[in-house]
Amino acid sequence: MAGQIKHIIDTIMAKRTLGNPMLISTTRTKLLLKGINTIKFTDESPDDPVVIAQLDEIAREFGIILNHEKQL
Amino acid sequence: MNVKTAYSTRASVLDAANEIRQQLLGVEPTMVLYFASSTYAPAALSEAMQTAFGATTVIGCTTAGEIADGIMLRHSIVAMAFTKAALKRFRVALVEDVNEKKTLKEKIVRAMKSFEECYGAPASKLDPGRLVGLILIDGLCRAEERVMEKIGDLTDVTFLGGAAGDDRKFEKTYIYGNGKAYTNAALLAMIEPATPFDVIKTQSFRCLGKKLLATEVDEDTRTVMRFDGKPAASAYADALGVPLETASESFEKNPLGLMLDDEPYVRSPQRIDNGHIVFYCNIKKGMELSVLESTDIVHDTRAAIEKSRAKLGSISGIISFSCILRRLELEKDGLVESYGKVFSGAPTIGFSTYGEEYIGHINQTATMLVLG
Repeated sequence: MAGQIKHIIDTIMAKRTLGNPMLISTTRTKLLLKGINTIKFTDESPDDPVVIAQLDEIAREFGIILNHEKQL
Repeated sequence: MNVKTAYSTRASVLDAANEIRQQLLGVEPTMVLYFASSTYAPAALSEAMQTAFGATTVIGCTTAGEIADGIMLRHSIVAMAFTKAALKRFRVALVEDVNEKKTLKEKIVRAMKSFEECYGAPASKLDPGRLVGLILIDGLCRAEERVMEKIGDLTDVTFLGGAAGDDRKFEKTYIYGNGKAYTNAALLAMIEPATPFDVIKTQSFRCLGKKLLATEVDEDTRTVMRFDGKPAASAYADALGVPLETASESFEKNPLGLMLDDEPYVRSPQRIDNGHIVFYCNIKKGMELSVLESTDIVHDTRAAIEKSRAKLGSISGIISFSCILRRLELEKDGLVESYGKVFSGAPTIGFSTYGEEYIGHINQTATMLVLG
């Protein structure tokens, strides 16, 4: 399977920034410093469970509920 | 008057504190921010500065060099007094024992609660266009990354600042507040400037087009064991095309950068240890870093300030946090005076740091709060 990482990143970015350009920039920086370079992931990126777990943890720290976590 | 600056090079704590007070006579500050050489006895200095300004909030930290207006200083105290015309509101929170991992989040949450009380909104909803955060943190606590990360998780307000220094003795750095001196602590201030403001992050490097992937790291000791599966020091030397034996001589001019678009978040190598590289801030496994080469600090800093001036219309004050490695490079190149002059057009205080804070913990950078 592929594309889940990009989907989670997009969800985090959308929920955290609400489209505010300043927040888009700072949130990308926060993710980069946490080890997630947002521009490296595409719809074709493999679903690496380590990266997905990392993003789940980041979302939790950001106070964001991800849809795929709700289903668990 | 929005802000007024002062400095003293008097060696005695009391003489220096009194001189600062005298230079700021006639100003009714709501907050005084100061940066002081570690040559002053920490507890005595914090008490003397608080006594000098009575009930006013007085905060600061130790340094590895200071700047006031257009003058680069050593073994001095520099101070900025903020009037009500500069700050609408502010709230200061002290976070102690920052290197205790288990309790850090709880402590940062507590600090945010106090900001929430002040501004009447959840930390996550505070407006980064209206508020800005300052952070002064123990420069030897090795917890700067975690502290900045927790702050950034909880709020979108930009925090910038510096890690305290101790004139390159690397023994103990202090944070000043409440008339006391603290180690292993961070002081957070959430402020609402009364005028428009800007945040500058400037560093002077270009990418050499070579990348290193961190494949084995120890985050706690800020050590990279391997880049691209090879011993880190050898990989760094190979990337630069220099012999391993002399690779550390390139550290200042050729640090590494975590790149976001064309913007580097600099990670500076400190030393080689058994083939590994110890950095001044941490690198996570899987991070891809670009090899950088230094450019013109004076030119780039001037350009950054002028850009900010154009954006704001005018500048009423600058608080600058600039890496000690930048100062050492300026000293080597005989450019200290030229660098100081970049700030001569605006009331400025600042210090040479053991790391700069801007969203995260970074190196070889200057972060500045510019008040319009």
